[in-house]
Amino acid sequence: MKRPQNLVYGLDDKPPAVIVALNGLQHCAVVSINLVIVVFVARAAGGSVQVVADVLAVAMLVLSIGTMLQTARVGPVGSGFMCPATFSATYLSPSLLAAQVGGFPLAYGMTVFGGVLEAVVAPFLNRLRAVFPTEVSGLVIFMVGVSSGVAGLRTVLGPGAAPVSGAEWVVGALTLGSMAAFNIWGSAIARMLCALIGLVVGYVAAGIAGLFDPQTVVAMAGAPIFGLPHLSHLGWSIDVTLIPPFAIASLAAAMKAAGTITMCQRMNDADWVRPEMDSIRRGVLADGLSTIVSGALGAFGTNTSTPAVGLAAATGVTSRVVAFMVAAIFFATAFLPKVAAFIAGMPRPVIVAALLFAMSFIITNGLQTMTSRLLDVRRTLVLGLSIFAGVSVEAFPVIAHSAPRALAPIMGSSLVLSAVIGFALNLLFRLGVRKTVSLTIRSETHDHQVLEDFFRKQGGMWGARPDVIDRALFGVIQLVDAVAENCWRGGPMTVTASFDEFNLDVRLSYEGTLLEFPDRRPSDHDIQESEDGVRRLAGFMLRRNADRVRSDIKDGISRVHFHFDH
Amino acid sequence: MKLSESAQDGVVVVQPQGRIDNTSVKEFGDRLAQVGGTAPYRVVIDSQETSYINSAVFRALLIARKQIEKAQGRLVLCAMPAEIMRLFEIAAVTDAFVICHNRDEGIAEARA
Repeated sequence: MKRPQNLVYGLDDKPPAVIVALNGLQHCAVVSINLVIVVFVARAAGGSVQVVADVLAVAMLVLSIGTMLQTARVGPVGSGFMCPATFSATYLSPSLLAAQVGGFPLAYGMTVFGGVLEAVVAPFLNRLRAVFPTEVSGLVIFMVGVSSGVAGLRTVLGPGAAPVSGAEWVVGALTLGSMAAFNIWGSAIARMLCALIGLVVGYVAAGIAGLFDPQTVVAMAGAPIFGLPHLSHLGWSIDVTLIPPFAIASLAAAMKAAGTITMCQRMNDADWVRPEMDSIRRGVLADGLSTIVSGALGAFGTNTSTPAVGLAAATGVTSRVVAFMVAAIFFATAFLPKVAAFIAGMPRPVIVAALLFAMSFIITNGLQTMTSRLLDVRRTLVLGLSIFAGVSVEAFPVIAHSAPRALAPIMGSSLVLSAVIGFALNLLFRLGVRKTVSLTIRSETHDHQVLEDFFRKQGGMWGARPDVIDRALFGVIQLVDAVAENCWRGGPMTVTASFDEFNLDVRLSYEGTLLEFPDRRPSDHDIQESEDGVRRLAGFMLRRNADRVRSDIKDGISRVHFHFDH
Repeated sequence: MKLSESAQDGVVVVQPQGRIDNTSVKEFGDRLAQVGGTAPYRVVIDSQETSYINSAVFRALLIARKQIEKAQGRLVLCAMPAEIMRLFEIAAVTDAFVICHNRDEGIAEARA
């Protein structure tokens, strides 16, 4: 691992205490925004202000434990990166459902189930992509945003909601408006903390408008300065009909954790070329354990905090000492009941504005993930029809009510229905896609454009990731360039490409001598002074470009095999 | 490949457009040798329009850097698309060159 130049304090550095404290506080501010999710679900479970405050105290303890699990590498657990835990929007929609159906015990029990499933799938994450390809992961993230945003709106606009007063509209608009304004026009620090600033604006506005529940004031006044979290709300139950939504949320959380840890890898290694699976597996396992601990202690699903990792990238401080500080701050806050009571009394328009703000980013994240694949007609239909299915459940709830009882767990949730249809159509539409294709080129007439057209067209049909296709294309063109200079005696070169969800294998054969693929770069002097140096540099680049390279020569025919993990 | 060249604040900016491969790398290297061998010996290569480079391009760049530094000048690369930057990374030559985000930064760095 080579330290990037832009890092001020790297992973293993020990920054001065002031830097650690200030960075720790900033990360806590970023992570705390998602405590809104805890408030939202705890209220849906019917918790009073006092009970919601108790749940929040436990939630802060969970964030402390989750951050430690992720950062400290103990046995097979923990990525070792500065990657704080937060409460996850991924679990919001299923947790709300559980809270409404079975109160706190069902929400906690199902959260434990989600965590166990994530921990179990962690070692098999790579294989999971067969049923959960990138664009379907994006679809799930997108629908998490849609379903959670709609759930937020129902609390103010739904048939069972209390009518919205004029003051509530104003406070909601001020909260959302200030979050958006600081995010778009604010300084770098204001942008990072825009949601927190918006919450402060919302609290002040709600105070002026007299929107605080009198219970909140009583709870705050009555709360001691120091105190242990109360666990009177604790209990666990399982409902099999809620397994599908929690299973999908759990798998989505695993995928998101893998993505966040990949970001950490890139930030901390200037030589980063591709995701390193060991720390991803350890990180996803830690993430699952964090959710298990959360459900066991009395809170909801957790996940790695992508905004916090983004903050570390912006400040150039990725030291894991900062993560230990984050854990310490949350641990200390768990024993300050006045803080929990203050957050627990968050007024309705503030909470909904914060949810809509956060879900806008989740939806965009889902869109970006979906479009990170080359989208051919097959994938366009998979995504389009699945989104229609999910949105139709939100628009026409009668679909769920009139569905057979056995299908209720699927038809009752826009997230689940959309994901299930996405999985099914993905498997169905892949029938008939050719997996192996060949192209023949000639040394005297080879044209890069022909190779590019060939790989782009096939990549689209396979739904391969554009970055992997780019790497394969570079490998083939660079090999052709390098061997055409010195190694190729003439005749045809055959390019064969085979693809499945996990692998892209490209085999090239030509008449001539083999190119060397050294594992060390030739010196600057060798590259400048000799053709051999340039050729060895080409081989070195090709070795690093692919995940595996194999070559041999048989009957005067050289054969090169590039393997790319997909 | 198309090569354009301009002068700005005492710095020569070379902008290769399209692919630099075996058929065009000689022209690219010759042009660098020409601008690098002439005062003010301050050269910025703006790669924003470059779509592909191969190993031979690194040779041309290393030779140009050596020539320019010998004349106490400065060679700066800037505005690299992500794919070109990736090729610098897999060639393990990012430390061998000064690389800036955009042309303005590149010119300022070349004048420093």
